[in-house]
Amino acid sequence: MENKAIDPAVRMIVAISKILKNGEWVATGTLSPIPVAGCLLAKHTHAPDITSIFFGDPADRMADGLFELFGLVQKGKIDVFFLSGAQIDQQGNINLICIGDYERPKVRLPGGAASNMLYAMSGRTILFTTTHTKNLFVQQADFVNATAYDGAVTTPWRRGGLSHVVTPLCIMKFDTQIKKIVLDSVFPGISVDTVAENTGFDLGIGKRTIPTVEPVHEEELRILREVVAKEMRNIYPLFTEKLWG
Amino acid sequence: MKIRPDLKTMIDPYSGHEYVVIPPIIPDVAIIHATKGDRFGGVTTLSMRNDRLLARAAKKTVAVIEELLEPDEVLPGHSEVYVAPVHIDAVVHAPRGAHPTGCPGKYDVDGAHINAYMTAAKDEKSFRQYLDTYIYGPKDHNDYLKKVGLGAYGK
Repeated sequence: MENKAIDPAVRMIVAISKILKNGEWVATGTLSPIPVAGCLLAKHTHAPDITSIFFGDPADRMADGLFELFGLVQKGKIDVFFLSGAQIDQQGNINLICIGDYERPKVRLPGGAASNMLYAMSGRTILFTTTHTKNLFVQQADFVNATAYDGAVTTPWRRGGLSHVVTPLCIMKFDTQIKKIVLDSVFPGISVDTVAENTGFDLGIGKRTIPTVEPVHEEELRILREVVAKEMRNIYPLFTEKLWG
Repeated sequence: MKIRPDLKTMIDPYSGHEYVVIPPIIPDVAIIHATKGDRFGGVTTLSMRNDRLLARAAKKTVAVIEELLEPDEVLPGHSEVYVAPVHIDAVVHAPRGAHPTGCPGKYDVDGAHINAYMTAAKDEKSFRQYLDTYIYGPKDHNDYLKKVGLGAYGK
């Protein structure tokens, strides 16, 4: 049975949980309720030994705040980090600086907030977005403040880079051979054409058949409702209430 | 610089002053003494000792704790800081574990024992004897405390 009534955020949460592996150290920054829920779901299903650090979670008791979290990333303790962008381009570059010309921007964005360091020094990075449009997934970002891999300029401190991109429509992966984002799978009820129409770059499908992600299981929904929602309420009360009441 | 020719200098690009630059110290293992702790590695330590900085710098950190409590009870008191479990790899519950040095607020330095140690350390034979008596001899931490004339708490 296809569960059409599932909120796209829930599909993303379940998808993210499956990307995480048992034993990994997973950290999230600001405004990351979907990754937090995905990580908690993973802990309550296949990956009980994940160590998680959710920025802003009072339970973590990080006395030095972001300074302490960034220190862990720089030390190489964090296997997985989550980032997003106002623009994400085909090379996995993200833009958190401005839309349009830097001198005369259409939109001035909040800023990079260490994302270039986090993108380079975490074991791997998963990008997540709450929309999937041509304005977001662009051929080339108007401003690049963090890169997915070392191109012409090398960063000696680079440890990892982009692994997956999870959106309300699909899961994309970073192809390390061609250094481009390519489509991996689509969520139930979403066609490959729909993804292509809403993406500003070629999805690198070629002759591949793009699989559909397995529907969300009843058991996963139960754990989210009964366990994850409870644990998330202190960190992201509004998000939790919106999804689970 | 005369006795440390390995050290290098750099010009501060902002002020133009020349400074000696020391590479960061990254210990393989740090052992810190904590006043309180839980079994997940959340601990409190004395702020003046910079134990949190040490734990954050080291590849692995062992916390020796005076008091084993539930996580919610591990709260930093006066002149203490909290060190989160993500910085701690192992916890050893050893009341009086700082002996013969002290743990401010809990117990003082055991001056007599340190004097005895200093005397013993003067030659190889008496030092060996010290090690056999206090280090290799005791079968565990409690046995050590008995040997040095202490209970877990209170002399």
